Amino acid sequence: MNADIDFEAAQKAFSSLKEKADAEWGKLLDDNASYVLVGAATCGRSAGALEVEEAFREELKSHGIEATVIQVGCFGHCYAEPLAIVKRPGYPSMLYGHLSPIIVKNLVQRFFLEEDPYFEIFLGAIEENDMFPRMADLPRYGLETRRLLRRCGLIDPENIMHAIANDAYRGFIITLSKTREEALEICKASGLRGLGGGGFPAWKKRQMLISREGEECYLICNADEGDPGAFMDRTILESDPHSVVEGMLIEGWVTGAGEGFVYVRDEYPLAVARIHKAIVQARETGLLGESVLGSGFGFDIKVIRGAGAFVCGEETAMIASIEGKRGMPRVRPPYPTEEGLYGKPTVVNNVKTLAAAPLVFTEGSEKFASVGTETSKGTALFALAGKTANPGLVEVPMGTTLREVIFDIGGGVPSGKKFKAVQIGGPSGGCLPESMLDTPIDFDSLIEAGAIMGSGGMVILDEDNCMVDTARYFLEFTQKESCGKCTFCRIGTKHMLDKLTDISEGKGKPEDIDYLLELAQNIKMGSLCNLGKTAPNPILTTIKYFRDEYEAHINEKTCPAKVCKSLTAYYILPDKCVRSCDACVGSCPPEAIYSNSKRIKVVDQELCVKCDSCMGACPPEYDAVIKISPVSEVPPSEPRPEKKETVKE
Amino acid sequence: MEVVEEQEILEGISTILDTEPEQFRNLISILQEVQERFGYLPREGMIKIAEHLGLSPANVYGVATFYNQFRFTPPGKCHIKVCLGTACHIKGGDLIMDQWKRRLEIDEGERTEDGEYSIERVGCVGCCVMAPVSIVQDEVVGDMAPNRVDGILLQHQIAKEKAEREAKKQAESIPPGGTEPAEEYPE
Amino acid sequence: MAHVNITIDGTPVKTNEGDKILWAALEAGIYIPHLCAIKEAESPPASCRLCFVEIEGYSSPVTSCTETVKEGMKIKTRSPQVDRLVKSAFDLLMSVHHLECKNCPANRRCALQEVAKKMKFPLRQKTHQKIEMELPVDDSRSDFGLDPNRCVLCGRCIWVCNELVGCRVLDFARRGLNMSVSTFDGAPLAKQEDCTGCLKCVEFCPTGALYLNSDEDIIKAEVGRL
Repeated sequence: MNADIDFEAAQKAFSSLKEKADAEWGKLLDDNASYVLVGAATCGRSAGALEVEEAFREELKSHGIEATVIQVGCFGHCYAEPLAIVKRPGYPSMLYGHLSPIIVKNLVQRFFLEEDPYFEIFLGAIEENDMFPRMADLPRYGLETRRLLRRCGLIDPENIMHAIANDAYRGFIITLSKTREEALEICKASGLRGLGGGGFPAWKKRQMLISREGEECYLICNADEGDPGAFMDRTILESDPHSVVEGMLIEGWVTGAGEGFVYVRDEYPLAVARIHKAIVQARETGLLGESVLGSGFGFDIKVIRGAGAFVCGEETAMIASIEGKRGMPRVRPPYPTEEGLYGKPTVVNNVKTLAAAPLVFTEGSEKFASVGTETSKGTALFALAGKTANPGLVEVPMGTTLREVIFDIGGGVPSGKKFKAVQIGGPSGGCLPESMLDTPIDFDSLIEAGAIMGSGGMVILDEDNCMVDTARYFLEFTQKESCGKCTFCRIGTKHMLDKLTDISEGKGKPEDIDYLLELAQNIKMGSLCNLGKTAPNPILTTIKYFRDEYEAHINEKTCPAKVCKSLTAYYILPDKCVRSCDACVGSCPPEAIYSNSKRIKVVDQELCVKCDSCMGACPPEYDAVIKISPVSEVPPSEPRPEKKETVKE
Repeated sequence: MEVVEEQEILEGISTILDTEPEQFRNLISILQEVQERFGYLPREGMIKIAEHLGLSPANVYGVATFYNQFRFTPPGKCHIKVCLGTACHIKGGDLIMDQWKRRLEIDEGERTEDGEYSIERVGCVGCCVMAPVSIVQDEVVGDMAPNRVDGILLQHQIAKEKAEREAKKQAESIPPGGTEPAEEYPE
Repeated sequence: MAHVNITIDGTPVKTNEGDKILWAALEAGIYIPHLCAIKEAESPPASCRLCFVEIEGYSSPVTSCTETVKEGMKIKTRSPQVDRLVKSAFDLLMSVHHLECKNCPANRRCALQEVAKKMKFPLRQKTHQKIEMELPVDDSRSDFGLDPNRCVLCGRCIWVCNELVGCRVLDFARRGLNMSVSTFDGAPLAKQEDCTGCLKCVEFCPTGALYLNSDEDIIKAEVGRL
């Protein structure tokens, strides 16, 4: 117990708040009530969720059905968006996917009026029941362990009462009842490690701040999520922002910091709006401010928007950016915990680490530590994308293998294509092949394999993806985002990129692979910050596991996946092309397709820009367009007939 | 985005700097506010901001040019952002960018001569499930393909011409002194 | 001020508490390549990545400009790992540097030439493809000029202009390989009303990126050096 705060007052205030929240939430859960929860986070909206919501409102109204229609966050099952959870008396809450305004019309008609569950679009029931299969029966959901996502897609993110009724802020109250040292011990025992990718033990950072008692200090929530392909942090902020506010309150109490900042990348306008609203609502209910719930402990949070710089995900660069400067990383030591924002001790934590913090206290450290492996506790949250059947967010206990995530949960590679690699950790991470799929997902095993946990983007690549091109893509990104401060990253990544470009254009030489390996090692050792240090990882892993592809590009001028434009040609198979069809000709932007004497179409290799339009235009029943690599293997064709010039006299 | 005259922008910036000064003690948030309202950072505007914050114009320029977000020339009326995040790239995002450039005959970061279109490359916008994605005038268009570019441009052109026709009709049909708007009767 | 005893390359060196290894070494007459460090500056940028040293007990080389001396430290300025890193950084710098010593105003007093000479590295590196940046030169003023093709982005001129003299005419603009020392909006130096022509930026520039234009000033500078 702490002498310097009034715990009893806070507990009392929280109890009355909880009562109110429970009452409001209870109304929704009443057996006789109906509700529709429409998943309307960013990807839901881009799939048409707002139109679906409107359709529900209109349709229910037109039939005189009383039901609460609420916009919720992302359920994580993005492959089935737009989604909605529908509850009506007599039935468990039902998850429906692939909705559209027309389907919604049918759904309301059939489910509400005719009591027909509309199985064609039904995914599963949420809770235990003895009528319908549950979401938990599907591997996509059943094999997940949703803790960071505990409230996502199930509550209105813009209503703090929903969050409180579903256990938000209770962890904070428990923390308040302990001394700072006790709380720190609990955190230590839980084994929580930073989920921003670094995996640094959470309690250590906090201890560094506690040891600076009395000095003004700050907390920063890193919501920059610059990794292209990662959207976990965005989802948490859009769907359950109070988990982050609570995490910061807990951290604020343990470390003695009075002010926190949430640094959100500007490309996430909905996330910015939601976390901002959550903070405003927290203030209104007394959960933020000069005296949180009357305890005497003061804490408040400010939202800072990024301005478009991947490097600002690095903590010292982020601090510079918050100070209004160019986001250039600084040498460490001194570490931010010694000298950070405005020169004061600062702890920077990722969104997921903060969202996990309340669980450490509501569950207790022992239970928290029972999930995961010996050294990596808790769950890992990934944004599964690329060539996967069930893209979206996947949350699994640490220790789950990559194979389980990609095939059992993700549903494998669609369209009968063969799996080639999984890219983990974004531009700082690596590509792992089939042989590494039994690697367990935890901080250390992934580093051993050559990848990193990173900020959880997991992109699946298949036989149609080129590993040289993939490495080049990441280097291009890193090069553009390099801050330019240090020699190795600024100039080194450019040379690596140029070399990869040469290789992908057929200009590679046998000594190029050794050149890349040597330069990669130097950049890793010599760079000032982690952006530079990890920039070579995509190259190192692709050379390690896919060296044969590099050698094919260099020695045979062949791109096995037929992706690299300079090494690939589009060709129309004469025996599949149908004389009467002209579909490809019109689709070709540079007008590179002509008809030969037999009216079979031919691609003019000199004009072709490899845009893939003809392949898309050719009717599937003919399937006449193929890609050939190396280009030397393109069979000869009748030359293009000369255009007869009509000369006007 | 409406095209606003530079003088108006400078007046707008003065208003921003004068209101709620506490909120804007940070250079980047001021620049963001100006960018959001006017679409770009005019030269004279940056000088004003520097003066207000006690920085030198070179310092402000140094900060503004560091970040992707800030533009120094006005965007087109129809601004197109092509996502080139990982998922979009894997699904052929580069081919789509090439097609936009080809059709509009401009490069990334440029604007068409008539001021109508501009193209920008953006990092991941978080709609990876619908990759590849282009954002046309703030509307997310998912499952893009090179052959959809023409359709989108045509749609936009048609909508623009329709709007122009309507505006002309309105202008011509309003008698001097104005008129009452027609009432909508509920069905 | 307490004294701290260290050894550099076997030679005992007496330093002051709080000193950085780089300055302690240079003052003791031991050369360590460096471009961006400024003794008077509050904190070193550590951006050039040339001043690596190996310290007994440390797992990998560290930059000597950021490392504070500790009693009993055993430092080596040359080792296979150090040499590899320093050469690598130097080669990278030279791969984007417009090399024309004969016509360069900094010929024979250039810091890059010093690194090459002392470390026995070739100025004309063959490791990487040469990239000629071909950036526009600002020769608008009569007293000094700026050639970004010779700039190593050490930031010393910016420190001088912002922190020492206070005119704040120069700053870094843009990012990555496009980063350069720039005036507001890249406008010509001649148009910079806040520039007092103190020429301190030229004095601090380790290469020929900033150079004197007027003969008078050049002679003064030469005399000052003698």
